[in-house]
Amino acid sequence: MQQPNRLRPFFENITFDRSDNELILNFGPQHPSAHGQLRLMLHLQQEQITKAHPDIGYLHRGMEKMAENMIYNEFMPTTDRMDYIASSSNNYGFALAVEKLIGLEVPRRAKVIRMMLLEMNRLMSHLFWLATTALDIGAMTVFLFAFREREYLMDLIEDYCGARLTHAAIRIGGVPLDLPDNFIADLRKFLDKLPENIKDYEDLLDSNRIWKMRMENVGVISKEMALSWGCSGIMLRASGIEWDIRKEEPYELYDEVEFNVPVSDKGDNYARYKLYMAEMRESAKILHQVIDMYADTTPELMAHAPQYISAPKIDIMTQNYSLMQHFVLVTQGMRPPVGEVYVATESPKGELGYYINSQGDAYPYRLKLRAPSFWHTGILTDLLPGHYIPDVVAIIGTTNIVFGEVDR
Amino acid sequence: MAQHQVNYLKDGGLPVALTTIDKVVNWGRSNSLWALTYGLACCGIEMMASGASRYDFDRFGTIFRASPRQAELMIVAGTLTKKHAEFIRRLYDQMTEPKWVISMGSCANTGGMFNTYATVQGVDRVIPVDLYLPGCAPRPETLQYAVLLLQQKIRRESASRAQKPKRLM
Amino acid sequence: MRAYTPKDNVQKKPYYTDRYWVAPQVAKTDVSEDAVFAADLEAIRAKFEVLDAYIQVKQMVVVINAADNFGVIELMKNELEYNQLSELSAIDWLAKEGKFEIFYQMLSMSKRKRIRVKCKISEKESIQSVEKLFRSADWSEREMYDMFGVVVNNHPFMKRILMPDDWEGFPLRKTYPLQGDEFAQWYEVDKIFGKEARDIIGPENRDPARVDRYDTERFARLGHEVPRGTDISQGEPVTPLCYQESDGVFLIEKFDAEKSVVISDRDR
Repeated sequence: MQQPNRLRPFFENITFDRSDNELILNFGPQHPSAHGQLRLMLHLQQEQITKAHPDIGYLHRGMEKMAENMIYNEFMPTTDRMDYIASSSNNYGFALAVEKLIGLEVPRRAKVIRMMLLEMNRLMSHLFWLATTALDIGAMTVFLFAFREREYLMDLIEDYCGARLTHAAIRIGGVPLDLPDNFIADLRKFLDKLPENIKDYEDLLDSNRIWKMRMENVGVISKEMALSWGCSGIMLRASGIEWDIRKEEPYELYDEVEFNVPVSDKGDNYARYKLYMAEMRESAKILHQVIDMYADTTPELMAHAPQYISAPKIDIMTQNYSLMQHFVLVTQGMRPPVGEVYVATESPKGELGYYINSQGDAYPYRLKLRAPSFWHTGILTDLLPGHYIPDVVAIIGTTNIVFGEVDR
Repeated sequence: MAQHQVNYLKDGGLPVALTTIDKVVNWGRSNSLWALTYGLACCGIEMMASGASRYDFDRFGTIFRASPRQAELMIVAGTLTKKHAEFIRRLYDQMTEPKWVISMGSCANTGGMFNTYATVQGVDRVIPVDLYLPGCAPRPETLQYAVLLLQQKIRRESASRAQKPKRLM
Repeated sequence: MRAYTPKDNVQKKPYYTDRYWVAPQVAKTDVSEDAVFAADLEAIRAKFEVLDAYIQVKQMVVVINAADNFGVIELMKNELEYNQLSELSAIDWLAKEGKFEIFYQMLSMSKRKRIRVKCKISEKESIQSVEKLFRSADWSEREMYDMFGVVVNNHPFMKRILMPDDWEGFPLRKTYPLQGDEFAQWYEVDKIFGKEARDIIGPENRDPARVDRYDTERFARLGHEVPRGTDISQGEPVTPLCYQESDGVFLIEKFDAEKSVVISDRDR
């Protein structure tokens, strides 16, 4: 085997003296349409892929190790950097897991605001997916259109929490802030325009010959394959399995809102594209209902649990005991009960799960992040063989993988 | 002959601009900074946003190129991990001189919040950096300002200097 | 004398714990409370030895012998309709009892239930792969090997997945420090420039509070630019910040703040 050294580049899987026609193509780790740092070793027979070997870990930042060295609240901003297209959904998954561990109930207004943030993040994520995938396939106009709408949403999120990309907008036990003035009006204005915008994208893409040729019957995932590879979210629903955690194991107020779960049984790229578009419409529908819920809630934002959660700021500033509690919680961190919990939420990418093993310490003993994209990347091993090189880009696009999440 | 004679001092001046080679070369260089798409993590999304509709990077002459051979500016946007480090060096070496590097975001500057075993603590341990851009993640406006500052820096440099490759060590 | 720090767990610990602190427990309830779980447990008990079983936060936890892991997962997949393996990983208990705990997080879509199957193996033992049952275990087991060094038998491609192939050490073990050992800290320098470059490049700055504020050899501060190598510890002059040079740029229109328009309406 070739030894790595400085003068000769080191390709661990390549042997150059082959007698057959097989060509090995190295795709990535720095490739503009790999949606991050994906490296694919593709074995090619002419232009057809015979074997694919995804190589990940180029964005492995050691988040699980960091979690073991951080108090619970300290870890919250780190979760932002997992699926950085939709940060709040990561925040939410972690907050929900810790709340389940402690056994907290969140005030209703906080739930409503969380629902708003989650659905806005879903819209942002799907718009971003549409933009990048369309760009990879060559539809530059859709990229510019979708980014325009995404910027509006980012403005709204910025109005709420002050950050565009990495929100950290959800706390364990609630949300830190109430909605600012005009937020609801601005959101309504955006939602009113959204159906038109989605129709614009669909007019551009739905019957576009190139788009259809690149999408239809490409990257077909069968039911068995999707289940076996642990697929979730749209990857699963496009293969004909109706499973949405928001519907099946409702959290927050998802059992009070009315929405459909779009399902397709085709399993190809085009089906996934249609589902993304349908999900955006459903998100808008949920947002409309959540806005109406906001009006009749009381203004509490954080749960009351002095052992785990700081009192509201006004109490910290005026009451001695609250200040002491706050000091201890900030310097030492809260100590959840001994036990373990696995909580799954439906992030825009799929099932985002947090497994927390607590030993009653301020630091989690073990925190496992179950990120959907990890398996959606793994499925490329079985999905790509038989396809052609240009299909690789389209398939990677529709799997909607984000490398902060794959490598964690 | 007489009717064709133009009085250059009167009618709009000579069709000539006097300048130095330095100025012209640097003017060209600074206003056509083609950047390599090097989106590594979260900052890469903001880099894309600055190329997209609202922030429109093209008006500064910055176009994203996918090949290092066509690029002269490397915007390292995101966390550089130890596994990726050798590739960033290889791509940097493949870029043609003159070349510049913007380190975008805290992770690329110093490792940022990821003070762990897997993260390179600052991309300047691997390649020389011209501009450090703080923020996690920096807004697109910040990136635009960084590019404008880099343009100023290029215009200050002497274009005729021997093209000595920048060395890290 | 330096205080003794245990080497078997080098993760961060609270600097103060109340001597009388007794950590509360997350409630564990009996399996018989949930009919679906009880039936599943009966089916597993009929064929395999179950060491412990309880319900915690609405999910059943079944502790089995490590040798039975393939059989139990197979039974759950084929007969009990647990059709997805959502997560698989290990927990390091080496410091406490010299063992790894391995958990399989299963999901049944028809019953809408989740079960966690757990087993323990010692450091030298290996475990049977369930990759034949669930393809998702392929990558999870590789990740487990990469992070903990748990060897999995009958796996088709037992290689590191997240860390580079030539990495030393298993990062998620409790004996591995957060900021890496010496190998990790010099990894990129050794690989790109060679070991002889260590002296020139210098060690990593792992101190988040260190400031290079007065280093004018390598850095110039925006708005406070001074010639290279100047001592600025006594303060530095202010240089005005501008988007363009004050006399404008050759052939480029100068930005005029008065002519610019601030867009406040989002729909514009």
